[in-house]
Amino acid sequence: MEQNELVVQMKGISKIYPNGVAANRDVNFSVKAGEIHALIGENGAGKSTLMKILFGLERPTGGEIIVNGEPVHFSSPTDAIEKGIGMVHQHFMLVPSLTVAENIVLGMAPRKSGLFIDYKQAVDLTKEYAEQFNLHVEPTARVADIAAGMKQKVEILKALVRGARVLILDEPTAILTTQETVGLFRELKELKAKGFTIIFISHKLNEIKELTDRITIMRGGKTVGVYETDSITEQEISGLMVGRDVILTVEKDQSEPKEVVLQVEDLNFVNEWDKRVLDGVTFSVRSGEIVGIAGVEGNGQRELVDVLFSLKLPEKGSATVGGKSLIGLPQAMIRELGVSYIPEDRMTFGIADIATIEENMISDRFNQKRFNRGPLFKMNELHKETDQLIVDYSVLCKSRSQEVGMLSGGNIQKVVVAREFSSDPILIIADQPTRGIDVGATEMIRKRLVELSRAGAAVLLVSADLNEVMELSDSLIVFYEGKIAGYFDDGQWDDIMMGEYMLGLKRQSDEEIARASYA
Amino acid sequence: MLSLLQSLFKPDFLFAVLRITAPILFATLAAVVAERAGVVNIGLEGMMMITALFGFLFSYWTQSWVLGVLGAIMVGVLLGLMMGFFALKLKTDIILAGIAINMLGAGGTIFMLNMFTGLRGNTGNLVSPNLLIPTIQIPLINKIPILGEILSGHAVLTYVAFLCVFLVWILIYKTPIGLNIRAVGENPDAASSVGVSVLKIKYIAIGISGGLAGLGGAFMSMYYSQGWNSGMVAGRGFIALAAQAMGRGEPVGAMLSSLLFGLAQALRTKVSGLQGVSSFLVSMIPYAATLLGLVAYSISLKRKARKHVIKVVKN
Amino acid sequence: MRDKRMTMFNMLRGAAAIALALGVGAIFIFLSSDEPLTALRYLLIGPIVSFRDSGVSFNAQYLFQIFAGMIPITFTGLAVCVMFSANQFNLAAEGCVLAGGFVGGILGVYLNINSGWHAVVCVLVATVVGGLIMLIPALLKVKLGSSEMVTSLMLNFIILYIAMHYLNFHFADRSKGSTMTYPFKPTAIIPSLVPGNSKMTVGIIVALLATVLIAFFMYRTRWGYSIRMIGINESFSLYSGMKVGSTIVLAQVIGGMLAGMGGSLEVLGRYQTYLWRDLPGYGWVGITIAILAKNNPAFVPLAAFFIAYLNKGCLLMSTYCDVPVEMIDIIQAAIFLFFAAEQFMSGFRQKLVVKTTREDLMKLETQRRLEGGSNNA
Repeated sequence: MEQNELVVQMKGISKIYPNGVAANRDVNFSVKAGEIHALIGENGAGKSTLMKILFGLERPTGGEIIVNGEPVHFSSPTDAIEKGIGMVHQHFMLVPSLTVAENIVLGMAPRKSGLFIDYKQAVDLTKEYAEQFNLHVEPTARVADIAAGMKQKVEILKALVRGARVLILDEPTAILTTQETVGLFRELKELKAKGFTIIFISHKLNEIKELTDRITIMRGGKTVGVYETDSITEQEISGLMVGRDVILTVEKDQSEPKEVVLQVEDLNFVNEWDKRVLDGVTFSVRSGEIVGIAGVEGNGQRELVDVLFSLKLPEKGSATVGGKSLIGLPQAMIRELGVSYIPEDRMTFGIADIATIEENMISDRFNQKRFNRGPLFKMNELHKETDQLIVDYSVLCKSRSQEVGMLSGGNIQKVVVAREFSSDPILIIADQPTRGIDVGATEMIRKRLVELSRAGAAVLLVSADLNEVMELSDSLIVFYEGKIAGYFDDGQWDDIMMGEYMLGLKRQSDEEIARASYA
Repeated sequence: MLSLLQSLFKPDFLFAVLRITAPILFATLAAVVAERAGVVNIGLEGMMMITALFGFLFSYWTQSWVLGVLGAIMVGVLLGLMMGFFALKLKTDIILAGIAINMLGAGGTIFMLNMFTGLRGNTGNLVSPNLLIPTIQIPLINKIPILGEILSGHAVLTYVAFLCVFLVWILIYKTPIGLNIRAVGENPDAASSVGVSVLKIKYIAIGISGGLAGLGGAFMSMYYSQGWNSGMVAGRGFIALAAQAMGRGEPVGAMLSSLLFGLAQALRTKVSGLQGVSSFLVSMIPYAATLLGLVAYSISLKRKARKHVIKVVKN
Repeated sequence: MRDKRMTMFNMLRGAAAIALALGVGAIFIFLSSDEPLTALRYLLIGPIVSFRDSGVSFNAQYLFQIFAGMIPITFTGLAVCVMFSANQFNLAAEGCVLAGGFVGGILGVYLNINSGWHAVVCVLVATVVGGLIMLIPALLKVKLGSSEMVTSLMLNFIILYIAMHYLNFHFADRSKGSTMTYPFKPTAIIPSLVPGNSKMTVGIIVALLATVLIAFFMYRTRWGYSIRMIGINESFSLYSGMKVGSTIVLAQVIGGMLAGMGGSLEVLGRYQTYLWRDLPGYGWVGITIAILAKNNPAFVPLAAFFIAYLNKGCLLMSTYCDVPVEMIDIIQAAIFLFFAAEQFMSGFRQKLVVKTTREDLMKLETQRRLEGGSNNA
């Protein structure tokens, strides 16, 4: 196959989901044989949708796909696999109770005497491919029992065994340790040398610079440019990703922290696979300050927030707000203490999608006296409250009785934020508050967060968007492998330094870390 | 009371347990296969009613019990596929689709019996011995005292029921289809990402489930009740759902919990013959036993789950 | 734009589903009847129109009978609405109707209250009993995580046999040929609203009142709101601070109370003695009604009327033609399958969405151009 031949061409692809979200609008995307091609863009830029279309998981609303020079119509992954396209998903597509070998041969199991699975052959096949591509796995281990890095290798093997020549990897490094990432890159380069084509989706600019040959940048459901990796700087990429019109600085005064609101003391959490995900975490959040938590996703941030909002029970340790323990407390009581929470997964925890905007706005306060007269709701009061919030947070909608699920991502998040910010909270836990939403909503939410903190609220900000935490936080805690790797309160930080702590290259002394607690 | 206890250890009682277990076992295995593919088959009750009717009718029309049983299996598979079409293709809630099948089973069968034969409510005088599933004596085993009395002389389908435990186990754990079924039930996205058609596998599973329900239906009308009548399945399809849960979706577990319910029901037949015992309260035993069994099972699950997560809510 | 189109689409889809279900019924009528057209006439217009030699005339008694038929199924329809709204597939409305009817009936025979309060007490006690019964599957679900579907199914049979036991061994009138209680005291009987034998009792008024009450409860009170939110998204409700467990219990208890009330009104309104020897089936019909009403209590009477109408039609068809009355189950099953089908006519829906979104996007573009492309939030 000639080096410059285009193996995949996607022309004028558009995708409108049944809820009316236009995830792709007239997208063009092409990949040359034998290259590692980065597909990059913010959350919600439409990368995943585009790749799902290429892999036959979603059908495009319009446009055409050409693979190896011939037009194709994929109606399922089977069609894509047949044309030599394989995908490694962000969330592993593995069946936990099956063994590695069973997962690898799923859907193409070798048979003996026509009817039965030839398990031995499946194991042999796994071993053979694992050796050929230098991807070491244990064929007979149950997938539930193996580490993330090995699961990823299983995923790659799955694609290779099926004859994939083009591999799509959707944010493969998000859950990997540093060593695992290094290993993965080595393996991917080896695959490239063997003539495979790789499409690499990522947010991490340094990885893209290190690994890829060309870059396609997406923004807001459209392609904004295709570049040779060597010809473009990280700053330029970042500018194209977020769009030049966005200036991501938020004006804020110096913080004047007062009393401790949230005190977390020696918090430990062990997950269902017996992995210690939180390991002796101690810190404070004080009134009037924003404490940011930075870290590569999967280093304990998720579990910290879940424990604080009583969605999980810690193994040991304490978390108190105004001296009262949050551990195991019913959510209603936590809210009564003045805690509000912007959940990361807004469609699961933030809203009830087929309920109206109004019903979503009042979900934390409908029990209050001012909205009830005897057994009945004061409908007028509810309407008034909702209309006020819609105006205050400029939610773009037809009326308060519109289904919230019909709104755009940004406006859905505005509904969540309007509810959470308007309950006079003394502590706000904001988990990825601007993930995957438009620039306007992002700016608004960030501005409000600063305003609330300056008015005296304590804010705990968890975000995978490094720019966001660095920009908004008054002090910064970096999580690495369930522990605090560093605490910074001088405002003197940059992404390079953060990266070193986030990736475990550096770690502060215990004394320095202990400064995070003001108790 | 003493005489009751004595009678429980007699071979004829244990023989009855096996006989009574067979239809529940078919239904429970049907529930297992569906459940492993992630399908709640609440329509088993109706499927058994309908297949019981058609099994008997086919047997009557062809004057062959074998063709009757095959007809019941075929109708069961078709019902499964129909339920699959509505639940998988048109996205009717699977539970509602199952309830619809149950409605067809309750009233639709009476309608169809009337339509085909002009009879109302039961097959009455159509029944003749050659239409029913024959019993067989197992050579050698029938010579063994006690054990022979328990194990030999059952209807062909009783043996088939217990054979099906093994077959379903083979199906689930040793065949590619079974591998796909387990994958689809546990992580449908994983299955579809490697080109396993989740829809196809669910159709297959629900079709097999229907076929097994068909065997259960045929057993009911062509052996157990010696003809079809409108109240004959009496909640066995529902009991099977509970038995499936208690058997943790495993074929062998399904057999053990089915035997438990078979025992409860056999006990009812035994006890209701006694003086001064309310036949109604005795009739209640299988259902109450199922309920209690389910509660015990839930408690054991809860104990296990408590260790880690307190609240994981799933929609 | 989108909302209006979608409302139209949903109405159209509902109508198409019902038409299709009736079509399935018609096919069976043609298959089984020697006089299919006459049978169809009885099914579709028979329930309100009499055919005599002298011509066609409106039949008020039939209409009253339809209203009478609505009484129990309005209650079970409401019960299922409330429970399904909380996403609880509790199927014990069936058993609670029987329990309510049985308890109401027994009190109607044995209680001594010499006024209209007799009936009121019977119905209220039956209501409470229905609610108490539902505590069983509800608490098992909330405390132990047992599937309410399976436990409620078992419960139906348990209730049936307990009632049968007491009926046979304690309350049966031995002088009668079949098993039934002694006659109800006149004070316990729910009075009829109209002359004749239609059985259209005060029950229909209570049913309509209950509808209003439940509609208010579901859409105008904090408890109804919690029930609906939990049904839509339990995680969201938990995180918002709602009391998920107790609300799930509440929904099922209310369901049981409604079913119990409906059962007692039916038994004391329709019969002279208690004589149910099998589950009456109203609980299952309640599910059909809840589906037709899309879990909205306000639509329950309409759906109940529709089903009662069909019931009457099937009854006439079997009386005057050769089509068995069980036709109703086939039609109901078909309604179930098509009406509840999310993807029924989905291709059409997707086209609508795409069209509307394209228009919205275009409008947005135009607007932006008009504003000079400056703000784009």
